Amino acid sequence: MSYLFTSALLFALGVYGVLTRRTAILVFLSIELMLNAANLSLVGFARAHGLEGQVAALMVIAIAAAEVAVGLGLIVAIFRHRESTAVDDLSELRG
Amino acid sequence: MSPWEALALLLLLATGVLVVTLRNAIHAALALILNFLVLAGVYVGLDARFLGFIQVIVYAGAIVVLFLFVIMLLYAAQGEVGFDPLVRSKPLAALLALGVALALFSGLWGLNLAFAKDLQGGLPQALGPLLYGDWLFVLLAVGFLLMAATVVAVALVQPTRPLDALRPEERKEEKEVVR
Amino acid sequence: MLLLTILLPLLGFALLGLFGKRLKEPLPGVLASALVLASFLLGVGLLAQGGARFQAEWLPGIPFSLLLDNLSGFMLMIVTGVGFLIHVYAIGYMHGDPGNSRFFAYFNLFIAMMLTLVLADSYPVMFIGWEGVGLASFLLIGFWYKNAQYADSARKAFIVNRIGDLGFMLGMAILWALYGTLSITELKDALEGPLKNPSLLALAGLLLFLGAVGKSAQVPLMVWLPDAMAGPTPVSALIHAATMVTAGVYLVARSSFLYANLPDVSYAIAVIGLLTAAYGALSAFGQNDIKKIVAYSTISQLGYMFLAAGVGAYWVALFHVFTHAFFKALLFLASGSVIHALGGEQDVRKMGGLWKHLPYTRWHGLIGALALGGLPLLSGFWSKDAILTATLAYPFGGLGFYLGALLVAVLTAMYAMRWFVLVFLGEERGHHHPHEAPAVMLWPNHLLALGSLLAGYLALPHPLPNVLEPFLKPALAEVEAHHLSLGTEWGLIALSGAVALLGLWLGYTFFQRKAFPAWYLTFEAWSRESFYADRVYNALLVNPLKALAEALLFGDMGLLGGYAGLGGLVRSLGQGVARLQAGYLRVYALLFVLGVLLVLGVMRW
Repeated sequence: MSYLFTSALLFALGVYGVLTRRTAILVFLSIELMLNAANLSLVGFARAHGLEGQVAALMVIAIAAAEVAVGLGLIVAIFRHRESTAVDDLSELRG
Repeated sequence: MSPWEALALLLLLATGVLVVTLRNAIHAALALILNFLVLAGVYVGLDARFLGFIQVIVYAGAIVVLFLFVIMLLYAAQGEVGFDPLVRSKPLAALLALGVALALFSGLWGLNLAFAKDLQGGLPQALGPLLYGDWLFVLLAVGFLLMAATVVAVALVQPTRPLDALRPEERKEEKEVVR
Repeated sequence: MLLLTILLPLLGFALLGLFGKRLKEPLPGVLASALVLASFLLGVGLLAQGGARFQAEWLPGIPFSLLLDNLSGFMLMIVTGVGFLIHVYAIGYMHGDPGNSRFFAYFNLFIAMMLTLVLADSYPVMFIGWEGVGLASFLLIGFWYKNAQYADSARKAFIVNRIGDLGFMLGMAILWALYGTLSITELKDALEGPLKNPSLLALAGLLLFLGAVGKSAQVPLMVWLPDAMAGPTPVSALIHAATMVTAGVYLVARSSFLYANLPDVSYAIAVIGLLTAAYGALSAFGQNDIKKIVAYSTISQLGYMFLAAGVGAYWVALFHVFTHAFFKALLFLASGSVIHALGGEQDVRKMGGLWKHLPYTRWHGLIGALALGGLPLLSGFWSKDAILTATLAYPFGGLGFYLGALLVAVLTAMYAMRWFVLVFLGEERGHHHPHEAPAVMLWPNHLLALGSLLAGYLALPHPLPNVLEPFLKPALAEVEAHHLSLGTEWGLIALSGAVALLGLWLGYTFFQRKAFPAWYLTFEAWSRESFYADRVYNALLVNPLKALAEALLFGDMGLLGGYAGLGGLVRSLGQGVARLQAGYLRVYALLFVLGVLLVLGVMRW
């Protein structure tokens, strides 16, 4: 059980990071932390329910790789356009 | 709980805190690598050996290194840039994160699980039949997704894009309009 | 093997879509045409072996089933045969267009989807094709999408079709609820005995027919077809004349086992068909765009087909689909050659006198117009006459339908001659240097002209040989009809021949006049605006909806303004909350997490 609680705490840490970090890259790092927290809980649950949890964790890793590729591509593209990676600069959606 | 386990979990949390608080993005990424390495160890301890190796090779080895690469490419090591328009949001964020943790705890609380499944050490021999059996379509879909992501990433960072082709003064004008 | 007929053009779509830009002209066109030809040969080969079936697991309870029987094989031959000729024509017509490969990719997509529609043995599979051809039609109408008006036309076609598609879907839902299957073969068996719930079944039939109304541009959903002429001319010929718009007729014929049991719905189909035939014919007189004249004639001819299907003469409807595919494709492609010859001019007022400049196209135009007008012994005459005979044999008010259809036949002959006279005869009104089309555009037209001359001989009236009726009969349902004596039948043939000749002569002489009487000018003004159908729709539907949208927009702006005011209010209270309106990503993330927590809380308590 301790793993699952640790996973929950790590996830919350990731949420905190996403909410407070001010550059896109660091927000991204926090998201990776959240993904891994979820993976940890999947692996933990696998001990109770069988190997499917580990397979799912494997899929999460693969999807995370895809997400990183697109995300970093976006960051680079945005950086080219406005020479900044700060998320607060992206405020065109203001009402 | 064995002392090794306790140490590993403490290390996980400590490096996690470092990832979300360190001001230098490179340091944060290094903390993340550390976190992932510990996590890999935990995986091995949890009968998920294959996953542990993948964690080291793919996550710590490839993904985070990609992060470091982009951080250095964009000179974006500095985490606190410019002025913070949301000065008082940190306590609120902490509160919300706490709420998330509590919500997850409340889900785990009172859960009675029997951690006794034989996972055959989580070796590829055990995972393979599942991956290419029930999960085959998921596997294919993920593979397709990866390919699509690769294509998108390449398309996103194409050097000659119409926006860049505009003359500098036009770009400046456009920026002003957008802001 | 059967699946391959669909996959071949689909392969062409994929190849041309992905690598088309690398191919040098005319390779994309050649590749696309070759694949369609292969599909044609494969289909014919399979049909010669006595048909084929294909079935694969798909949705639960709904297999992906294809069926090649005489009916679908007949349509397959039209789609791929005429489609191939138009593909070849397009190689010449689209020469030098920057979107050349994109055009052929869409064209192949269309053929693949049309074949799915035709070969489908269950309604959902047919619906895939139904939507697929709609998509291809949308893409091709808006092919020159840089012209905003063309893009609007494409959207209009798509949206109007959507109304019909809704009917199709609801009809499928009712059939599913009644019989628990959507396979056409199984439904056919299920409908053998006494009907379970006749009124609900009639509703299903009516809704399916609504789908056909949308796709085949029948009254009241006919407004999209004339605008669809914004696409390149081969598109108009293939999609909006020869194949896609006849999909509605095919749907009714495919579902003939259903409609044969629903005399009321069939009556409604016949009425709508006759109305559409009259509307299209009357509207064709006032048009000045060479393609729009032909487009309205298509609407009118589609009305004829539905009239035939409505009175229960399903094979006659398909016979007309067949002959119509030839002469209408020919008319469109001849129009395309004329447009090509004049360097893009489409206004008939600036044409005229092309007879001496276009030594081949003039014959194509003449044959097409005469076949459309129903000159005796040409293909259009035989199929139109079969329709007229079938209406008279209809037990419920057949004579009224007959007279209406006969009147429309006169009008058809007249506007067909108007088209011909304005384009080819009289003095030259434009300042162009016309040049005949290249061989790659002429040869398809030669073959289509041959088809327009001879296609009618597949099904000659009794007692002459009729190949088509016994061929199609096994796949279609029987409907009771009066039996006409041999004398009556041939009397009718003579009458309709005479009427067609009269119409052609009237048209030929009348439209060579220099001045027209006042009543005609009034009529022409009304006709030019297609009897204000668009305006009526604008007044009744489009503008109220627009007004609603604007009211909502106004409300939205007011709301936003209110929020902005609120933001100002809050700013005076505290900087932090005012940031809510600043568009910062993190604020949204904060609110998002807050929302997640709230939802979780609500779910737990």
